[in-house]
Amino acid sequence: MRVNPNFSTDMVNLLDQAQQAEDNAAQELSTGRRVNQPSDDPAAEASMIQENSLSAAVDQYTASSDSLTDVLNTGDSTLSSVVTLLQRAVSLGVEGASGTMNQSDLNSIATEVATIQTQMLSLANTSYAGQYLFGGTATGTAPYVADAATGTVTYVGNSNQNKVQIGTGLSVATNLPGTSIFSQPGDPSATVFTALQSLVTALQSGNSSGIATAEVSVDDSLKTVNTAQVFYGSTVDELNTNESYLAQEKLNITAYENTLVSADTANAASDATEAQTILTATVAATAQIDQQVNLLTYLH
Amino acid sequence: MGLTADLNVSVQSLLASTESMDVTTTNIANQNTPGYARRTVVLEEAAPVDDGSSTGVDVKAIQSMRDNVLDLSVNAATAQQNLSSTVSSSLSPVQSLFADTASDSIGSTIDAFFSSLQQLSTSPADSSLRSSVLTAAGNVASAFQSTASVITQTQQQADQSVVQETAQANSLLQQIAATNGEITTAQNLGQSCNSDQDQLSSLLTQLSAIMGYNTVNSSDGLTLTTSDGTPLVVGSKAYPLTDQLNSSGFNDVYAGGTDITSTIQGGNLGGYLQSRDQTLANMGTQLDQFAFQFAQAVNTVQTAGSDANGNAGVALFDPPNTTTGTAAGAASSISVALTSGSQIAAAASGGASGDNSNLTNMIDLQNQSITNGVTPDDAFSNLTFSIGNTISQANTAATATGNILTQLQNQQSSVEGVSLDEESSNLMLYERSYQGAAKVISTIDTLMGNVLDMGVTDPGY
Repeated sequence: MRVNPNFSTDMVNLLDQAQQAEDNAAQELSTGRRVNQPSDDPAAEASMIQENSLSAAVDQYTASSDSLTDVLNTGDSTLSSVVTLLQRAVSLGVEGASGTMNQSDLNSIATEVATIQTQMLSLANTSYAGQYLFGGTATGTAPYVADAATGTVTYVGNSNQNKVQIGTGLSVATNLPGTSIFSQPGDPSATVFTALQSLVTALQSGNSSGIATAEVSVDDSLKTVNTAQVFYGSTVDELNTNESYLAQEKLNITAYENTLVSADTANAASDATEAQTILTATVAATAQIDQQVNLLTYLH
Repeated sequence: MGLTADLNVSVQSLLASTESMDVTTTNIANQNTPGYARRTVVLEEAAPVDDGSSTGVDVKAIQSMRDNVLDLSVNAATAQQNLSSTVSSSLSPVQSLFADTASDSIGSTIDAFFSSLQQLSTSPADSSLRSSVLTAAGNVASAFQSTASVITQTQQQADQSVVQETAQANSLLQQIAATNGEITTAQNLGQSCNSDQDQLSSLLTQLSAIMGYNTVNSSDGLTLTTSDGTPLVVGSKAYPLTDQLNSSGFNDVYAGGTDITSTIQGGNLGGYLQSRDQTLANMGTQLDQFAFQFAQAVNTVQTAGSDANGNAGVALFDPPNTTTGTAAGAASSISVALTSGSQIAAAASGGASGDNSNLTNMIDLQNQSITNGVTPDDAFSNLTFSIGNTISQANTAATATGNILTQLQNQQSSVEGVSLDEESSNLMLYERSYQGAAKVISTIDTLMGNVLDMGVTDPGY
C-alpha cells in the first residue's frame, strides 16, 4: 500500500491531543479538582449541586439550632427564677399557716408575697430580643397585663407554638405559651397570680385554713412551672445532640463531595508527567521527520 | 520498418518523456495545494502499423488519482467534526453559570433564600432577618435574570456566526456552481478538466466545514442539496443563500427562497444553528418555566399568610401569581415585588406577629415538586446535567470524529497525496527515457549520414 506522504495533519492532530492532555492534567493539579466545569463530568456536577444544597441546609439547621438555643436558655433561666420565687412563697405560706404568728407578722409576710407577685408578673413578661417569650406566638405585646385598679392579671397572649426545622423532617417547638406555664392544667383561670393573690388575701385576713389552702394552690403552680421548665431544658438538650449529628452529617457530605469531584493528586501528577513526556516526544518526532532525508538529497 | 519510422518512434518517445516530466513538475509544484490530487501519465503502446512493427508510445491520458468515495467520506467527517466542535465551543460560555462552584448561580441563591426563610422562622418578628429574606429573594431574581441574559447573548453570538457562515457558504456555492459549469463544458468538448476537479474538490471540502450537504452526480455535473433534498447547486446554477429574521429575532437561512434552517446538518453552521435553536432555546424555555413556577409557588404561599402588620400577604415575586399567566420571558423579568421585609407573610392568615407557621409552608417548598416537575434544587441540578452532558457529548464526538477525520485524511493523502520521493524517482526515470530516445535519434542521424555518404565518390583531387 502506498504510504501517506504528508505527515503534517497527523502530527498537528497528535500535538493538539498531547497539548490538551497536558492542559487538563495541569488544571486538575492547580485546582485540586477533577471536575472543573459541568462538561467534565455532568453526572458528578449534578450530584454536586444537590450535595451543595444539602450542605447549605445542614449549615442552616446548625445556625437555626444556635439561635434557638439562646432563646430557650433565656426561657429556662427565667423559669428557674420563677421556681425560686414560688418556693419562697410556698415556705412563706407554710410559715403563715402554722398558726404561731400574730397578725403583724402575717401582714409583713403578705407584703413579701405581694412583692413576689409583682416580680412574677415581670418574669412572665420576659422578652428576648424584643420578643416576649411566654405569649404564645403573640410575641409583640406583653402577655400578662395587670389591671391598674383591681390588680387582676389577665393573659392576652395566645396558646400557639412555633415550630422550627432543625433537620430533614425534624422540627422542634420553640416556645411554651404562658397558659401552659402559669395556669393549672385544665383550669386556665387558676394561675400563679390568682394563687399568690389568694395567699396575700388569706395572710392579710389571718385565716389559717385559708392560708393553708392558698399555699397548696401556690405549690400546685410550682409543680406546673417545674414541669414546664423541663420542656426548655430537654429542647436545648435535643438541639445540642442534633448539632453534633449535623456536624457529622456535614463531614459526610464533604467527604462525599470530595469523592465526586476532587482530583486524585497522585494520578493527576502522573497524568501530567505522562502528558508532558508524550508532548515532548511528539514535538521531537515532528522535528526529526522534518529533517528526514529524501531522495532529493541524493540527486545531483 | 525503416530509419525514418524509427526516428518518428523516437520523437514520440521524447514527447512522452517531456509530457511525463511536465506532470511530475506539476505534481511537485502542487504538493501542498488543497484539493490537489496527484496525477500520473498513462502511457500506451501506439497502435502497430500493418506490418506488425511497433510505432512507439502514446500518452493515452493524464490521470488524476482522485478517490471520489474517499473525498466524500473526508467531507462528511469534516462536517461532523466541525458540527461537534462548534456546538461545544458555542455553548461553553453558558456552562459556568451552572457549575457547583458558581456562588451566584440560581441553585445557590435558591438555597440561600430557603436558608434565610429558615433563619427567619427562628425569630419571625426580627426585622433584620426579614430584610435578609428580601435580599436573598432579590439574589434569586438576579440569578435568573443574569442566567437568562447570558443564554440570550450566547444565542445572539451564535446568530451572528450564522450570518457570517451563511455568507461564506453562499460565496462557496457560487464558486462551486461556476466550477461545475466549467467542468461540464470541458467534458462536453472532450477536454481535460483535472485542474477544475481539483478546485471543485477544494471548494467542497471548504463547504463541508461550514455545512453538511448531499451530492448527486448527473449529466449536468454535480448537484448539491440539503439533507431533505432542497437544491443548493444544480449544474452551473447556485441557489443563493440569504438570511431572514424569524419571529424569535434570529436569522433563518434561505436557499433560493426556501427556508433550509432546519435541514442544515453538520458543519459550523449546523453547529451554531443547533446551539441557538435547540440547546439554548430549550434551556431558555426551561429557565422561564423554572422562574415562573418558582415565583408562583412562593407567591401562592405568601398570599395565603399575614405579614408583620397583620395584613394579608401580597405576592413576593413579579411576575405575579396568575393562573392564566404564561412562563415566556419569566426568567429575564422576574423581580422582587415587596419593598419592606415587614411584608413577608410569616404568619398564617390572621396569625399573631410572632407566628411562623406560614414560613414553615414556604420552607417546605424546597422539598416539593414545584418547578419543572421536580424540587427547585433538582430542577437546577437537571439543567446543570443537561448543559454539561450536551457539551461533554459534543466534546467526545469532536474527538472521535477528529480521529476518524485524521484517519480518512491519511487514507486520502496516501492515495491522492504527492510524494517527493516518488516524483524524484519518476523524474529520474523520465530523464533516462528522454536521454535514451535522444541517443536513438543521434544514432539514426549518424546512420543516415553514413547512408547519404555512400553515394559520394572521392573526387580524388
